[in-house]
Amino acid sequence: MAEENFCIILDQVGKTVETPEGKLDILINISFQVRFQEAVVIKGASGSGKTTLLGLMAGLDQPSSGDISLLGKGMATRNEEQRSAIRAGKVGFVFQSFHLLQGATALQNVMLPLELSGSDQAFELAQTSLEKVGLAPKTHTPVEHLSGGEQQRVAIARAYAPRPSILFADEPTGNLDAVTGHQIADLMFDLRDELGTTLVLVTHENELLERGDRQILLESGRLISQ
Amino acid sequence: MKIRRATIHSYWLMFVATVITVSIVTSSQLITGRIGLLLDRQASELLAADLVVLSTEPLDDRYREAAQDHRLEVSQSLSLRTAIFVDDSPQLVELKAVDESYPLRGRLERARQVTETKSTSEQGPVRGEVWLDSKLAQLLGGNLDLGDRQFVASWLLTYEPDRGGTIFNLAPRVLMNLADLADTGLVVPGSRVQYRMMFAGEQADVTVFKNWLTNNLVPGEEIQDLENARPEMRRALERTRKFFSFAIVLTLVIAMAAIAITARYTSIQEMPKVAMLRAFGVSKRKLLVYYLRQLGLLWFSATLAGGVIGWLSQFPLQWALDGWFGRSLPQIIGIGPFLTAALVGLLALSGFSLPFLLNAMATPPMQVLRTVVDRRSWFRGLMISASAIVAVFLVLMLLMQSSLLAMATLMLILVCALLLPVILGLMVKTLLLSSRRHFWLRQYLLSRLRASSRGAIYVMSGFSLVLIAILLIAVVKDELLGAWQAQLPEDVPNYFMVNIRSDDVVEINEFLKQRQIEASAPYALIRARLAQINGVRVEDIKFDHPRAPHQIIHTFNISYAEALPDQNKIVSGEWINDSGDAQISVESGVAERLGLSLGDELTFSVGSSVMKGPVTSIRSVVWENFKPNFYLMTNAGLVQDLPQTWLLSATIGEQNKADLKQLLKRFPSVTLLDITEMMARVQSLVDKASFALQFFFLFALASAAIVLLAAIQTGRHEREVESSLLRALGARSRQLYRVHILEFTLMGTLIGFFSAAIATLAGWAISVYFFNIEYQFSVMVWVYSVVSASLVLTIAGTLVSRRVYNVSPMKILRS
Ligand SMILES: Nc1ncnc2c1ncn2[C@@H]1O[C@H](COP(=O)(O)OP(=O)(O)OP(=O)(O)O)[C@@H](O)[C@H]1O
Ligand SMILES: [Mg+2]
Repeated sequence: MAEENFCIILDQVGKTVETPEGKLDILINISFQVRFQEAVVIKGASGSGKTTLLGLMAGLDQPSSGDISLLGKGMATRNEEQRSAIRAGKVGFVFQSFHLLQGATALQNVMLPLELSGSDQAFELAQTSLEKVGLAPKTHTPVEHLSGGEQQRVAIARAYAPRPSILFADEPTGNLDAVTGHQIADLMFDLRDELGTTLVLVTHENELLERGDRQILLESGRLISQ
Repeated sequence: MKIRRATIHSYWLMFVATVITVSIVTSSQLITGRIGLLLDRQASELLAADLVVLSTEPLDDRYREAAQDHRLEVSQSLSLRTAIFVDDSPQLVELKAVDESYPLRGRLERARQVTETKSTSEQGPVRGEVWLDSKLAQLLGGNLDLGDRQFVASWLLTYEPDRGGTIFNLAPRVLMNLADLADTGLVVPGSRVQYRMMFAGEQADVTVFKNWLTNNLVPGEEIQDLENARPEMRRALERTRKFFSFAIVLTLVIAMAAIAITARYTSIQEMPKVAMLRAFGVSKRKLLVYYLRQLGLLWFSATLAGGVIGWLSQFPLQWALDGWFGRSLPQIIGIGPFLTAALVGLLALSGFSLPFLLNAMATPPMQVLRTVVDRRSWFRGLMISASAIVAVFLVLMLLMQSSLLAMATLMLILVCALLLPVILGLMVKTLLLSSRRHFWLRQYLLSRLRASSRGAIYVMSGFSLVLIAILLIAVVKDELLGAWQAQLPEDVPNYFMVNIRSDDVVEINEFLKQRQIEASAPYALIRARLAQINGVRVEDIKFDHPRAPHQIIHTFNISYAEALPDQNKIVSGEWINDSGDAQISVESGVAERLGLSLGDELTFSVGSSVMKGPVTSIRSVVWENFKPNFYLMTNAGLVQDLPQTWLLSATIGEQNKADLKQLLKRFPSVTLLDITEMMARVQSLVDKASFALQFFFLFALASAAIVLLAAIQTGRHEREVESSLLRALGARSRQLYRVHILEFTLMGTLIGFFSAAIATLAGWAISVYFFNIEYQFSVMVWVYSVVSASLVLTIAGTLVSRRVYNVSPMKILRS
């Protein structure tokens, strides 16, 4: 299998942190690949290392051992600054607690990553993106005035607006009720289908689990099945 | 763990803010009272007493007894004109006989020879001796005949505190012991003698006695105190005192702003904890008790610490000032200052923090699960403002006893405190409106400032308030010092020539011109008494102004001139024209005290004649310029035939000192009056007061630092989360760094700009309305304000962001 076919490659990845009680292995020897346009769902018990793994895959953190290649670029040897440059415009995020900029409008939140990556069509792209998530009427509303579901939709619009190659989501429906969660899931998968985005998401929700192409199960930092 | 650390931190800030507040109050209570006392004393030296009664008739011994009943010291003196012989030619001298107690305030200075060093003396001449004016130096060491007795001329009198009582009409002085006077036989019925009885003591006693005296005076007797005797001193003193209390209120405002900001910060830190405890079912009552105990502990320990610091703070100040004043500060003993400080601390702490804590108490337990948008916040805002207003009001009432300045300061604080967030918010919003198509950086920064979760607007408001207060202290201080300097003309005169006879005026002018001595125009002086206002005898008028009675028994020096004297300004009406109609121009202070307005008809008695005319203009006078200044001026026609002498001021340099001797020889009646001494006194008064103030600036800066710390601490968590979010979204270090620095710079610039505007406005109002000095618009205030605010915030902010922008983007997944 040629390496170019993979969006993310994990090669014997381990993560160890220092704690007052000594070294703690959070992730141990994890290897798998994610193909382009694939939807991979990570699951596992609480504390099994899902968030840690997602962070490593997205280049937010560095592995203690092994290597991760994101979009063909090795992460282990790159510093935070260089990893940022790789992420810019190519990677989107949706978080459990939305993480929108308080005080800014929905539109401005969506424009932010576009402008950060130097796009000169931020305004137009952001508007289109907001329309896609059905929030055209709330474009200029400050985000703190939006409901939870609406806020998450803004987050999805923000994540998809730069047309990223990969979208990472950590329990995107965790803070929402079942109905809203369902809508959000629909939205994420619909946009993925439309834009051909690779999706990596961490979840407990059965619905999302089933919609994924592949499930990765973690247990105490070890990869149990994929 | 993070929350816990932040909590301790926020309590600590609040503690320090309270300590500073308590220290300021303790220190100011301990020190300003003493400095005020000292300033009064120093000024009193110019009268050689706190209070003086003058009369041309012997003064009743009742006064002495009454004064002693009021625990006052009493001294008596008597002065008269008499002639002595100098080289066989008669010379008019002003003989003054003083008792052993004289002077009650200040000291005499004497020398054995003109060239010898001066020494101070607590007493006048002993019996059988006289001290002489330096103009009579040639008589020193010899015998001097005064009436029927001979005296030894033992010392030169180089300084006499009350010499300038009324600065005109002075012949060379001869000072003698009062006990010798009777033997001279100089005082006979019909001699023109001025009797003075002088009193000194504790201020409260003096005030009570003065009231008694005012009610017991017989016609012809006149009370002198600083109020009427030395307008230039009184003005400097009043201004200095006002400024002092004003600056202390402002310092206190800063400290209280620090409490408010830190209390707000603390309550925000407490919210998650409260939410959690509430979720676990801890009752509100229990929480309230817990926090009240916490606050009580904080107050108690802050009061102790603040009291100690305040107590210690008086020493460096005292050391510094003692050297300058040449005597130790009068002591104020008692626990009063500490109690006041403790009370102020309690008021401020509860006023500012209770509503916040109640607010925190109301945190819905739901907060534990997710952010709950609070829709009743306007009510809480109102409650918080109301409580703060009441606290500030009580504190000011406690410290300033409802003076006008306190009220005005309160108004200023309220307006600032209430409007600051609104105006700053609007400023940010307006800037935001300008572009909808771009977000990154400018809009992003502004939206950060607007985000209510960060409380940036409140912190900015607090910081603005602090900066405004600091600027105001600086602005008004400069004004106070500057005004005094600015009003001194380039060619400050150093001599007054008084007692010039009408026949000599032209010649003297000629004499000065020939020798290129700069001099003012000569002014005539007509001594007149105000008899009637609008045909009603002044004795029968009930005046509203407390100082009016002094004014009425005062003899006015009336002058006339064609041109408005230097630095006089017509406030209303028109300056005297040459129509020949009777016209009177009144100084604005007198007009206010006597309730005069344009058109009022004034009648004066001048010797045996009567003179009257309408008030046609009201004039403001800069008393501090040491040029000839007059309460009343008329058109020439009205008074020029009445008995008069002339005066002028002149600038006489070292090179002209010889000419001076010539002049005195040619015009023996003329008296020269050196006024540099007097100027130096006013100057030193202002200098000392402003030094003492620098000290309070230290407290102000300490509070400012606390506010700054709180400002940077507030929203640090949000800043970290946003940093890692931006990181996750692919922002570079450079971009992050720029955002953080710019955020603080933007805050600083907004604050600086805004504070300069308010400080300028308030500085203008305060200068004009409270200090009666002209306000000079200063660009430097804006420069200082904007530069210092943006610099301080940027530097402090950068130090913090270094940590913030190094935050791992992983944080965003975990927060
Ligand atoms: N910096 C760190 N220091 C110490 N321990 C850490 C650190 N980061 C993560 N851990 C620990 O590693 C384990 C895995 O954490 P992680 O957040 O990846 O779990 P998770 O699977 O996402 O759990 P959840 O479903 O509860 O979100 C946890 O036990 C956590 O306490
Ligand atoms: Mg997790």
